[in-house]
Amino acid sequence: MTRIRALLARLAGVFTKNRADAELTEELQAHLDMETAEYMRRGMAPDEARRRALLASGGLTQAVEAVRDQRGLPWLESVVADARYALRTLRRSPAFTAVVVLTLALGIGANTAIFSVVHGVLLKPLPNRDGDRLLYLRQSADGPGQANISFSVPEVDDLRTGVPSLGGIAEYSPWNLTLQGDNDAVRLDVGLVTGNYFDVMGLAPLLGRLTRPSDDGPGVPPVMVLTHDFWMKHFGGDRGIVGRQVKLDGQSVTIIGVLQPAPFFPDRIDALLNMVVSPHHVSAMMVQNRSHRMTEVVARLAPGATVEQARAEVAAVYARLQSDHQDAYDPGSHYRIAVTPFKEALGARARLTLWLLMAAAAFVMIISAANVANLTLMRGVRREHELVVRAALGAGVARLRRLLVVENLVLTLLAAVFGVVLALVGVRLLVSLAARYSPRAGEIRVDGVVLGFTLALSVALALLLSFIASLPREGSFASWISAGVRRMSGSLRRQRLQRGLVVAQVAVSVVLLAGAGLLTRTMMRLSEVDSGLRAEAVFAMDVPLLQLSGGPSGGTDPMAWFRHIMELDVAAKEQYERIRSEIRALPGVTEAGLGSSIPLAASTMTFDVKAEGQALAVGEAMPRADVRTASPEYFRASGIPLLQGREFTSTDRGGSGLVVIVNKTFADKFFPGEDPIGKRIAWTGPLLKVSPISGDWRTIVGVTGNTRDGGLDAEPRASVFMPFAQMLSIGGALVIRADSNAPGLVAAATRIVHRIAPAAPIVRVLTVAQIKDQSVSPRRLNAELVSSFGILALIIAAVGIAGVLAFSVSTRTTEIGIRMSLGADRAQVQRMILREGGVLLALGLVLGVAGAFFATGLVRGLLFGVAPRDPATFVGVALVMLAIGIVACWIPALRASRIDPAIAMRSA
Amino acid sequence: MDVQQGTLALMILRTLEVLGSLHGYGIARRIEETSKHRLTLNYGTLYPALLKLEQEGFVSTEWRQSDNNRRAKYYALTAAGKKQLARETREWRQTAELIAAFLAPRREAP
Repeated sequence: MTRIRALLARLAGVFTKNRADAELTEELQAHLDMETAEYMRRGMAPDEARRRALLASGGLTQAVEAVRDQRGLPWLESVVADARYALRTLRRSPAFTAVVVLTLALGIGANTAIFSVVHGVLLKPLPNRDGDRLLYLRQSADGPGQANISFSVPEVDDLRTGVPSLGGIAEYSPWNLTLQGDNDAVRLDVGLVTGNYFDVMGLAPLLGRLTRPSDDGPGVPPVMVLTHDFWMKHFGGDRGIVGRQVKLDGQSVTIIGVLQPAPFFPDRIDALLNMVVSPHHVSAMMVQNRSHRMTEVVARLAPGATVEQARAEVAAVYARLQSDHQDAYDPGSHYRIAVTPFKEALGARARLTLWLLMAAAAFVMIISAANVANLTLMRGVRREHELVVRAALGAGVARLRRLLVVENLVLTLLAAVFGVVLALVGVRLLVSLAARYSPRAGEIRVDGVVLGFTLALSVALALLLSFIASLPREGSFASWISAGVRRMSGSLRRQRLQRGLVVAQVAVSVVLLAGAGLLTRTMMRLSEVDSGLRAEAVFAMDVPLLQLSGGPSGGTDPMAWFRHIMELDVAAKEQYERIRSEIRALPGVTEAGLGSSIPLAASTMTFDVKAEGQALAVGEAMPRADVRTASPEYFRASGIPLLQGREFTSTDRGGSGLVVIVNKTFADKFFPGEDPIGKRIAWTGPLLKVSPISGDWRTIVGVTGNTRDGGLDAEPRASVFMPFAQMLSIGGALVIRADSNAPGLVAAATRIVHRIAPAAPIVRVLTVAQIKDQSVSPRRLNAELVSSFGILALIIAAVGIAGVLAFSVSTRTTEIGIRMSLGADRAQVQRMILREGGVLLALGLVLGVAGAFFATGLVRGLLFGVAPRDPATFVGVALVMLAIGIVACWIPALRASRIDPAIAMRSA
Repeated sequence: MDVQQGTLALMILRTLEVLGSLHGYGIARRIEETSKHRLTLNYGTLYPALLKLEQEGFVSTEWRQSDNNRRAKYYALTAAGKKQLARETREWRQTAELIAAFLAPRREAP
């Protein structure tokens, strides 16, 4: 207690110095006066009395010093003094300060911004209770679209009983529901969950309650938990929401609570409901069919269990499943299961991109730190005189080092402040980038951890900068003070360090530029990809009319629900056709078509497929194709070319013969070198039992060109189009081609949809250009970010080269003067300096290209249409670096050649 | 003779206990007199010690008119100071006894 009190008193003493000094002087003076008076009382003469009193005091100045040391915290005061001195020095060289602070601020800002994204998306603990014990289970198989096929209910049940190291397994089935408002309808992305879901996930309600096991099964009232985002967005954060009834797909559902903010995987969702809301989900079809996979699985490790244990046990159970149920696991497709920590699954898509950006930012930091180091070294030379004077006045090496540290701290902390401001701006941009890769983008903050990182970075930089400056060893000061040295020796060593830093800068810039070049080419290649659609004056609307939930619960008769849906479908088809024909009649519309989904969007349904008369080889993967539907006008409206055969006609209806149009990939796969027209194919596989699609033979009447439905960077998949009229209208999209101004027609088309189908939500309206852009824009942002880092690096490195050479010229002024007076001409001097810079440049280039050769392999996963060691990119980057480097060398070389020998030698 | 490290604080506290509140000069004179002028206190020793006691909360200070009408800073013992004095006195006694026992003339073996 006493110690803390004393420390606080001393701390206060640091700041109340002047007043305390005045008081002390008065107190000491009083003491002296009283003592003098005493001596006089004893009969001394006033002068003598005064002298004796002073003698006894032991010196007033010494007393003041002693009291001051006791009063404040001497070390703190000297640090404060150093800081004040540093600020004054820096103010005196504003150009140096500005360059250093700006350079460091760019580096620190870039790192702070990227780190805040890395921290928010990859590193920060999940908001879930014991989030690191959550696991995500993923089932996958060979073939396009099979990377994450989720689980069927029987599979989940087997895992639940067979894996003791998983303490809880929760089911989560992504689903869509239409929320009917008073005068609008909103399509919701929801998760249908089991009652244990929230307990397993470790999530708590913000308001109300969450679902629990008593909400499971058929025959319970449907209830809904809102996610935090949707509650804020749609209900404006209304705290009275709990207990409210809403209409979802025609059913009345009670909102029971609002969930704490939390990330979801694989997709963002609006709300979570119990399974009963969808009769299909509680039907025998869903619960008993092993191939009916539409359930995501999240599990929590049992107390004491490890991920490895869980992996081993899951693998054992899964092997047994595969041998027990061979019909559900086509051996040729290599079904497999992966157990990953939930946090890793959430970050999986973002990881490579973010570490790439972090590395790019770190490179920028290295280059800017190297630049500042060089500036500091050069400044150090000019300050040697000052340091010598300080040493002569009694400052030891440690004291001088501390002065440097404080000075550099002032610089880096100043830069950190600007850097954080830059980062705050940059983070906003980065959040939109991260949102494309991670469901955790909303968690990105410049928070305490991020600021701690920035502070640590700044302090580390300051220390680094302080310790590269070489100070003489303790005790050797005297020699150079006596020698009257103006320049500390060791300049050769120092120059070598400076040159080394320049080489490093060039090398790192080359690596960064190579990465930027590859990403830029990736982006360009991607936008050159032929989407498969002609012309861009096309827009598409997603208008799902069929509401799949609601209707009779399928408890007793599984087909009852289907029959109900079929009835709804007849009405929906009529509405679709009315909407289509009215939009077609709008002035400016040249064609309008209907289909199951908008073009260039992946189909949600993929089925096993077979061709008549073809047998699978043993071990060959079961072929699959995307299921799509199209009205007769769909291909013309989308601009998808018909390569062979005919389009659908209005006579391809329910009663007539079953026909299909396949895409080129499908035709090439099944009928290589043959004419596919007139051949017959059929859907097959265990999934057919749970679908409204029959396994009847269907005749191919046409072949279309491929479209890039899985994104521009994915190979086209095999697709089969069925006539819109011959298939249940799951999904439902309009494609509208205009003669010119497609976006201008959106409002008119939207009005028609609202008038004919007031209860239908319009999920999205996109022009084909926008759809394409969705696939290109994340890459573009990547390329732009890394390129701007690369350009930044290039500029800083160029300044670095020019600076070091300029410094070299200034130290060699006399030498150059002598050379010129001995007959060297301007060109020779220029060549001399250029050679000096050229060596550094060449060395940096060689190292940089070698480094890039290794580094670019790491970003292979982010590239498209360009090899990681693309020679054109490497050559281009080297040329750019060379050009900029030569310009940077030229400026000091020109200056050197303008040296007037007479002046140079006189000033020596 | 210079004052021994650590003992000055005790002397100051004791002086203030005996004489009540007192200024620096008074404290110095009293300590010198008590020591029969074997100790001399220069300012550089006394004032940092007083400041330290103040920082630790053992003495309080106040500017007042002195007897001969000049302004001076008066030091007085606080409650914490009284406790500290008692504790240090006890410790010093024990130490002194211990040292005395050690340094006692050796008795001849009987």
